[in-house]
Amino acid sequence: MNTSLTEEHKEKGTTLGHLKVQELLDEGAEPLKLIVLAGQSGLSRKIIEKEIHRPGLALAGFLQLFSFQRVQVLGNTEVHYLRGLTPSDRANATKSVMAHEIPCLILPNSNKPGKELVEEAERAKIPILGSEHSTTDLINLLSTYLDSRFAPFISVHSSLVDVYGSGLLITGRSGIGKSEVALDLVERGHRLVADDVVRIEKKAEGLLIGSSPEMIRHLIEIRGVGLIDVRRMFGVRGIRMQKRVEVEVRLQEWDDNVEWERIGLDQENTSYLGVEIPLVRLPIFPGKNISMIAEVIALNVHLKVYGFSAAEELEKRMHEKINRQNLRRYLIRDYE
Amino acid sequence: MQQSFVILLNKLGLHARPASHLVKIAAKYKDTTVEIAHRGEVVNAKSILGVMMLAAGQGTELELRVEGPQEEECIKDIVQLINDKFYED
Repeated sequence: MNTSLTEEHKEKGTTLGHLKVQELLDEGAEPLKLIVLAGQSGLSRKIIEKEIHRPGLALAGFLQLFSFQRVQVLGNTEVHYLRGLTPSDRANATKSVMAHEIPCLILPNSNKPGKELVEEAERAKIPILGSEHSTTDLINLLSTYLDSRFAPFISVHSSLVDVYGSGLLITGRSGIGKSEVALDLVERGHRLVADDVVRIEKKAEGLLIGSSPEMIRHLIEIRGVGLIDVRRMFGVRGIRMQKRVEVEVRLQEWDDNVEWERIGLDQENTSYLGVEIPLVRLPIFPGKNISMIAEVIALNVHLKVYGFSAAEELEKRMHEKINRQNLRRYLIRDYE
Repeated sequence: MQQSFVILLNKLGLHARPASHLVKIAAKYKDTTVEIAHRGEVVNAKSILGVMMLAAGQGTELELRVEGPQEEECIKDIVQLINDKFYED
């Protein structure tokens, strides 16, 4: 069970426990060009690992360390190896491999399974899927798909807006005005990804992708008004399906005891699912234009990407001036 | 932290109106974190979109987690609201 109140959950998130072969077939049918060749009755089998295995050595009889719990891909090598065997050897090789609890077998290159394989698949209820893709293409696509399906995720109470191409995650306590800032940013021509509940997935090392749960996609709740459908109201230019989460902007009430960042030389970070992103704490008070500041934060992210930091630039200028003054002082003394 | 498991008794489950009752009560406790967990999803109980996203129907068991000042009072209020069927039916 999730324990989102803990810091640990923010770091680790939730991971999908398993994926049914039927789901792989439903979602991956088009991009992966998957069709069922045999073992239809085993479609409820579960895939529990994102790794893919090629069972060449297992077919050749080396069954120690056989990663049978993974999706098995039979490329041209395996298929030709099986074809080259005598019928009885082929039956034995197939039987010993299919005796394991394999989630499913995939045959790319439009290869067809032999008679023995089909019989074993039906008997053991292990689905055999076929694909038109080449083995390399299929493995690449399947691996990307499984990576994303098994990616850890968390739901964060916040808003995610694409501002000038930077993904700004707006956080802060309930009622502080996250949704209002998001709406104002949409008004200014930026694109809303999610409001209230942002689903953040770690798609790859160092890469956080945020999106909205389908149910509430592109809806915003504004206190006093109610729900607003941003897509209907502002059209497609005001929305986006997903966006990389690049900066967290945390809205906080002004507090005299908090020392707010004044220069910007030190960067504070926060971490989601083990990925560090910059954190900007923004004090709010009535009359302050948060959306405009959010735009500036987004542009600042771009400047930093191009190697420019206003704080560092100012510091450089100061050092230059101090050095010049020192030189002048030296020259004056020397003149005397 | 206070934790409680409650079953939705009202006929239509957590639809718009009950959800807004719940959110209003949770939002009264400003400095308290109120969360609802259901089917592996955890949402902030002060967020109407979050609560409605759960699409919890009658008979659904929800897990409440409350942390912060007045947590006992807060969870009591919410459990009572749910057990009173959100003043509906």
